Amino acid sequence: MLEISDIVVRYGRREVIHNLSLTVAEGEAVTLVGSNGAGKTTTLKTISGMLRPVSGTITFDGQRIDRMEPHDIIALGVVQVPEGRLLFPDMTVYEHIELGASRARSGGLSFSERVDWVHQLFPILLERRDQKAGTMSGGQQQMLAIARGLMANPRCLMLDEPSLGLAPILVDLLEDTIRSLNETGMTVLLVEQRVDLALRLARRGYVLETGKVVLEDSAASLLSDPRVKTAYLGI
Amino acid sequence: MSNRIFLPLVIALALAVPFFTANTYFHHLMVLWMLFSLLALSLNVIIGYIGELSFGHAAFFGIGAYTAAIVGMNFGLAGIPGLLLAAVMAGLFGFVIGYVSLRIVGPQFAILTLGFGSIIYTITNYWVDLTRGPMGISNIQPLGLWGEGGVALTGARGYYYLTLFLVIAFAYACHALLNSRTGRAFIATRENAPLAASLGIDVFRIKLLGFVVATAVAGVAGAVYAHYLTVITPDVMSLQYVAALIIMVIVGGRGTIAGPIIGALIYVVLLELLRALGPLRLVIFAALLTASVIFLPGGIVSLWRRLTGEETKPREAAE
Repeated sequence: MLEISDIVVRYGRREVIHNLSLTVAEGEAVTLVGSNGAGKTTTLKTISGMLRPVSGTITFDGQRIDRMEPHDIIALGVVQVPEGRLLFPDMTVYEHIELGASRARSGGLSFSERVDWVHQLFPILLERRDQKAGTMSGGQQQMLAIARGLMANPRCLMLDEPSLGLAPILVDLLEDTIRSLNETGMTVLLVEQRVDLALRLARRGYVLETGKVVLEDSAASLLSDPRVKTAYLGI
Repeated sequence: MSNRIFLPLVIALALAVPFFTANTYFHHLMVLWMLFSLLALSLNVIIGYIGELSFGHAAFFGIGAYTAAIVGMNFGLAGIPGLLLAAVMAGLFGFVIGYVSLRIVGPQFAILTLGFGSIIYTITNYWVDLTRGPMGISNIQPLGLWGEGGVALTGARGYYYLTLFLVIAFAYACHALLNSRTGRAFIATRENAPLAASLGIDVFRIKLLGFVVATAVAGVAGAVYAHYLTVITPDVMSLQYVAALIIMVIVGGRGTIAGPIIGALIYVVLLELLRALGPLRLVIFAALLTASVIFLPGGIVSLWRRLTGEETKPREAAE
């Protein structure tokens, strides 16, 4: 469904992604792992149109999206949940949920059905409906960030470091949520520093190092790969 | 005091004020207050909602004033058509200038608007055939319903009610906008434009929409101003007015609705009180702006919130 071939991305003159290619099939859960500065977030930002590749192509359902504006890409159903939550501290929970639907993909659930759906997924968001996002805990903020992303009615959900700074119990909850989203047919592209978690959730994984794919395999074989073990799992 | 009691009270008071005195000088000040309120509210859309500083706003006010004056003079359309045309004209310039400038943010945007403002000012000053240059246009007809003849608006009291109506209508529109989904897109854009873009908000379109609305309303204010004073000169586009408008919005409280209206009141009152001081007034205004930015970055209206403690109270407690 999502096909990235040979993209090169630069920040100014500095090339940070070198001829990277990856594919995500419909309904699949795929993860990008790698250390800091490997280019995971940059890759996601390039897919969602926040950055433009210098060369190479990105296609979604056969349609080229690498020259499209972010709001048009979202309307196709490619939605990124940014790293570090990135909420508007002075806006309320419900305002964020509405904001997520600014350029929702048409089809599927209606706006109010999606509101009910995200409230079902994260009941705390209904409870805290009128609270300002900035006053919530990190876990609640992450749930809100995901709910906001889901309000755009995604077909392919890209999550950037969702476990960052969360208590272990919340990480478990998050894992369950992401898994169930994937099981109901949503394509998931997950960037995660916690490689163990990422490889448990995903079916396939790519290992990135300094802007290149160095390893690509099924999650199970990556988990047992000695290079991954020593470099990322610390065992 | 809740807004539900407070607002009708304020509006009733505003409606009654002209009857407290027959002093036309006082009425004149009220008209000026309302005109500046309308202008400040429109500039507030740019400063407070889009989050960019525009130094070119007086130019759109001038475009509106000159459009109304020229259309009234040459075609005898000194009425609602003139007002509408002034809005369209100013909005059109706003669209073109916004289309060019709004891709740029921060100080560069401010400088660009300063440049466009100066260009419009200079052209107005030198295109004598159309605008009569520095002599300005005088003997502009009073505002009628539909061109010449029929009911014409004369006297400060009538203009006060017209401008009061415009201010209330535009303030209500701003309020409704802020509480709509489009309004939240505005706030999201102001708070964090890249994040807003990543959520699917077309940041450029939102900014352009705000800019065009702001400039069109400034055009209407200019048209009413021209008909009211019956004389306009290119000076209405000068930097002095730009500075005055920015002072009103910042000192009053950007991003709020009461703020620019209060800021306009402070400006008009101080301008009269300090008339004896001559050019020294400008120094006082500058000092006011400086003090406000340092001590009251939220403007005068933030005092109210500070006093009532609304700022620190969590929203939960309200339920």
